[in-house]
Amino acid sequence: MSSVATTSVPPLSRPAASAPVPARPRRRKPRAAMVMTHVALVVSGLAWMYPFLWTLGSSLKDTDEFFGRGLNPLPEQLLWSNYQQAWEQASFGTYFLNTLLITIGTCVGTLLVTAMAGYVLARAPFPGRGIFLFLISATLFLPHGYTIIPIFDLMEKLGLLNSLFSIIIVQAAGGVVFGTFLFMGYFQTIDSELEDAAKVDGASFHQTFWRIMLPLSGPMLATVGLFTAISAWNSYFIPLVFTLARPEQRTLSVGMYAFIGENSTQWTLLCAGSIITLVPIIALFVMLQRFFVNGLAGAIKG
Amino acid sequence: MNVRRESLAGRMWTARWSYAYALPMMALLLVFIVYPIAASLGYTLYKWNGIGDPTDFVGLDNFRRIIDDSIFWGALKHTFLYVAIVVPVQLFLALGLALVLNQKKLRFASFYRTVFFLPVVTSAAVIGVVIQLLFSNFGDVINNILRDLHLIDGYVDWLGDPRFAMGIIIVVGIWHTLGYNLIYFLAGLQTIPEDLYEAAKLDGAGKFAQFRYITVPMLRSVGIVILLLALVGSFQVFDMVQVLTNGGPYFATEVVNTYIYHLAFGGTGDVDPDVGLASAASFFYGILLIALSVVQVVVLRSLVRRRAAK
Repeated sequence: MSSVATTSVPPLSRPAASAPVPARPRRRKPRAAMVMTHVALVVSGLAWMYPFLWTLGSSLKDTDEFFGRGLNPLPEQLLWSNYQQAWEQASFGTYFLNTLLITIGTCVGTLLVTAMAGYVLARAPFPGRGIFLFLISATLFLPHGYTIIPIFDLMEKLGLLNSLFSIIIVQAAGGVVFGTFLFMGYFQTIDSELEDAAKVDGASFHQTFWRIMLPLSGPMLATVGLFTAISAWNSYFIPLVFTLARPEQRTLSVGMYAFIGENSTQWTLLCAGSIITLVPIIALFVMLQRFFVNGLAGAIKG
Repeated sequence: MNVRRESLAGRMWTARWSYAYALPMMALLLVFIVYPIAASLGYTLYKWNGIGDPTDFVGLDNFRRIIDDSIFWGALKHTFLYVAIVVPVQLFLALGLALVLNQKKLRFASFYRTVFFLPVVTSAAVIGVVIQLLFSNFGDVINNILRDLHLIDGYVDWLGDPRFAMGIIIVVGIWHTLGYNLIYFLAGLQTIPEDLYEAAKLDGAGKFAQFRYITVPMLRSVGIVILLLALVGSFQVFDMVQVLTNGGPYFATEVVNTYIYHLAFGGTGDVDPDVGLASAASFFYGILLIALSVVQVVVLRSLVRRRAAK
């Protein structure tokens, strides 16, 4: 009854209708707004995820179905063997292992280097700190893409070309500036009482950092670790240049484009390869996202 | 004089472990970031295809060639267009979404957050493959729908059409990196103390007044950092263009970084790679960006000062 009234003359009848029972609409209105919010979020979320859903569905189709079903993400039957084929025949298994090793190496390297540097910049000032900070900030603005050529030359002279190590060290170097800033911001917010107490108890510089400050920076370790993992896992350009002569060292991103060049028709395998590339990094994000937002909020406060 | 030098040395000795801890970071920075930039500054003076050592000295000629190249200015225009659309749209959407997801009473907020963040963790390689597959194999489906609606007549080759390719790159670009801005805004919103809102409610402030007088001023400094990061990132757009169109068709989507890449590694057509020219283009672009950011900082400062004066 009230719905009829509200649709016919909404602006006037609403307050009139709700006047006798003021408690009810006041309670119901936020709930209705909440439902609308959820509906909007689910619909836009599905649209947002559509390319992923389509890829996931297509990775389970056979070739005829792939073309036949067009933009419909749902497969008719689930062809799991696409994954087995992508993993074994299309070498995605090898690419996966390479990408995993590179990502772990890059994360460990970046975290160690940036946590130490961020700590001393925030807590243990030294003469020259200002120059140091200026130099770091200046590098953020210069375009880096083309500097791959001098880096390539350098690696060649050092005899490190065509090794996973070369990819790890170059990628770790690419992320140190951002990571150092985040750690610096985070360490600045940590109360100095703990540090002072440790010093009174006779803790050395090293003990203070490794035993007290580093364990306290868990959220930031997760944040920088996640940022580094995302960029290392997905990076295309550096692994491409450093594995040109060594197909067996390709990463997933590089391997995917090589696969297009070599097998121009097996789209369903390519979709399976895309899903193999996506799942680990999505899983990592889901595991770490709690710390991620808190870690960033911590760094911003400082 | 002597005393001061001694005390500096003394202070440096006291801080010796600080230097040691900063050393690995400094070493990586010098070897893999500063040295390559310095080395490419040297390359700008040579015509060099990247093989062997540069010998063909051409002075500042490379810079003159860049300034005379209409494709460079086209690429600059496309980059500015990309930045001018992506940054405001993305920040607006991200802030709106962050405000919605930050509500204490909203259930499944972390689930939604994950959904909207997902494109960020996806490699450009995967996105390039999937979007190309969708458009090249099923562009017809979209064509048919639009033709039935009488929005277009005839066949459109979406990524191969200069009128649409840049638009698609912009839309995909917004989609791809919105998640970062969402997370930054959420982190920024978390730093606003809850009791400010409680106090405002007690004073009878509505939702909009709370937003206007608490959220906006409290988010201002974080917001400027988010804006700067978004600008820096968008001006360096590369991956998405490279995997979707490679700068084509006919340079219609060439942005500065793909232009530099094509100069350095040889690109469309039978252009010989010229690392010297590519380095010159990069430096010229870098100087433009630095000049722009100086202007930005000056404008921002004067705005802040004027506000403070009021």
